[in-house]
Amino acid sequence: MGHSNVFRRSIYLFAAPAFILYIVFWVTPVGMSFGYSLTNWSGVGNNPRFIGLKNYEYLLADGTLLNLVKNTLVYALFTIVYGNIVSLVAALALDRASKLTGVYRTAFYLPTLYSSIVVGFVWGFVYMPNYGFLAKILAAIGIGDPNLLGNSSSSLIAVAFVDSWKAIGMYAMIYLAGLKNVPEDLIESGLIDGCKWRHLVFNIKLPLIAPSITINVVLGLINGMKSFDYVYLLTSGGPGSSSRTIMFGVYQTAFGENLFGKAAAIAVVAFLLIFTLTIFIVHFLRAREVEA
Amino acid sequence: MTARRTLGSALVDLLIIVFLAINLSPLIVTLSNSLRAPDDTASPFELFRSLNFESYSLAFRKIDYFTAFANSVLITSASVVAIIVVAAAAAYPLSRIQTRPSRALGLFFLAGIIVSAQIAIVPIYRVFKVFGLNQSRLAPILMYVSGSMPFCIFLYTGFIRASIPVALEEAALMDGARAFRRFWIIVFPLLVPATVTIIVTQGVAVWNDFFMPMLFLTKHSQKPLTLAMLGFMGDVESPTQWNTLFAACYLCTIPLLAVFAALQRHFVGGLSLGSIKG
Repeated sequence: MGHSNVFRRSIYLFAAPAFILYIVFWVTPVGMSFGYSLTNWSGVGNNPRFIGLKNYEYLLADGTLLNLVKNTLVYALFTIVYGNIVSLVAALALDRASKLTGVYRTAFYLPTLYSSIVVGFVWGFVYMPNYGFLAKILAAIGIGDPNLLGNSSSSLIAVAFVDSWKAIGMYAMIYLAGLKNVPEDLIESGLIDGCKWRHLVFNIKLPLIAPSITINVVLGLINGMKSFDYVYLLTSGGPGSSSRTIMFGVYQTAFGENLFGKAAAIAVVAFLLIFTLTIFIVHFLRAREVEA
Repeated sequence: MTARRTLGSALVDLLIIVFLAINLSPLIVTLSNSLRAPDDTASPFELFRSLNFESYSLAFRKIDYFTAFANSVLITSASVVAIIVVAAAAAYPLSRIQTRPSRALGLFFLAGIIVSAQIAIVPIYRVFKVFGLNQSRLAPILMYVSGSMPFCIFLYTGFIRASIPVALEEAALMDGARAFRRFWIIVFPLLVPATVTIIVTQGVAVWNDFFMPMLFLTKHSQKPLTLAMLGFMGDVESPTQWNTLFAACYLCTIPLLAVFAALQRHFVGGLSLGSIKG
């Protein structure tokens, strides 16, 4: 290291404020969750009693855990697949010289600026049975009201759809940035060789924006696994527990049922699951990226 | 050939416009409804049938807009300033010292990106009680700052490594500048592009978040806009409340839309930087 005289190890002190904040408010609470998950703490009072793995046993035995994990995986998978397909098509359509490109971009990006609470209200109105926007549109063309949120077979996907709807603009901007880096001469030589449009997309553009795909899939996975806002705002996990995701389960168990120990157990499972899945997906996708 | 291209291009334009119209229709309809009198329950399809601000004034009073707006501005600006200073400082050693422990520390910070507040809410609440901060606006601010460290430190570290040559600092070393001065006078001002990305992404995230305030803030005088919005929960089920509810939705969003309109270039540029470095 030629710069060792410039950078002494004492400059690690610059990281001290971040390190302390991160340890105290982010790492320690997660560590404490592991501890609390082995107790029957109710959240009030100061006497959590050690009960071993009982919380985990209960969660497994009554099927709660399986249902939460299954719902969360379906939610994440839907947002990743739907969100990425729409945003990728949008980015490919926007990546060309046109006077309107700027306007289109803004219009695609707009939903990402709305707070999830506002989006929750807006989509509550869209999905509202009988009087809602969707019900009215469907009635106008003679289709009955599907009541998507009130139906246990559709509520989870209906909520995940809202999440994707808001995220598409963000994904599309990341894909557009990736497409900007595809060398112009590669596209030109492809055109000269008489490449069809779909060959340009599948054989040149997509492989070269693989890093953007990695980012968006990983972001989608992490956000999907953390999904809470729209479940809380639109269905409260219902009907029954058909749209309960892991994070909503943690919240409801802690603050609705005052079972903090059990909630911590769900949180621990979530942490381990997200950690494993993220590492797996990053490795899998990174291996497929190519250089321009 | 050119004729075919023009036709194809026009077709793409048409498809984009149709998709956008459908995609944005919930926002357009709610905007149109917010501009009606509170008791106007005509079909939502009669777009922009009136230009009436009564619903806005009703929502304005119901939210106690000035208080909520001031709280949102306070919490967002304090969080973003703290995020920038703390994350940039932390990224400095991580990018300049290239050893195993340094890389490990970088990964340790980055790993936090998978954690969401819900995973830790149980103990977080306790930690803040210990500090006596569980009813303070400082609680959400501290959570935002610590929670955004993974992404922001990662972004700054990549940016310093790629764009700020060590040679710049070597010259300053000749002048006998201490590490703090080198960072603050030479490195930090050059971080502007990354800082813009952080202002845009974290500013929007903090302004729009309702979970942290919901967890900690109960006093009316401390509530930011998103938390004040939570008071409308349930109103979406009664069509007579819609116009006021949607007016409230836009009162909450308009400040951000205005900032976006003013800084649009930075929003898009900032996002692409974030993604390339990521």
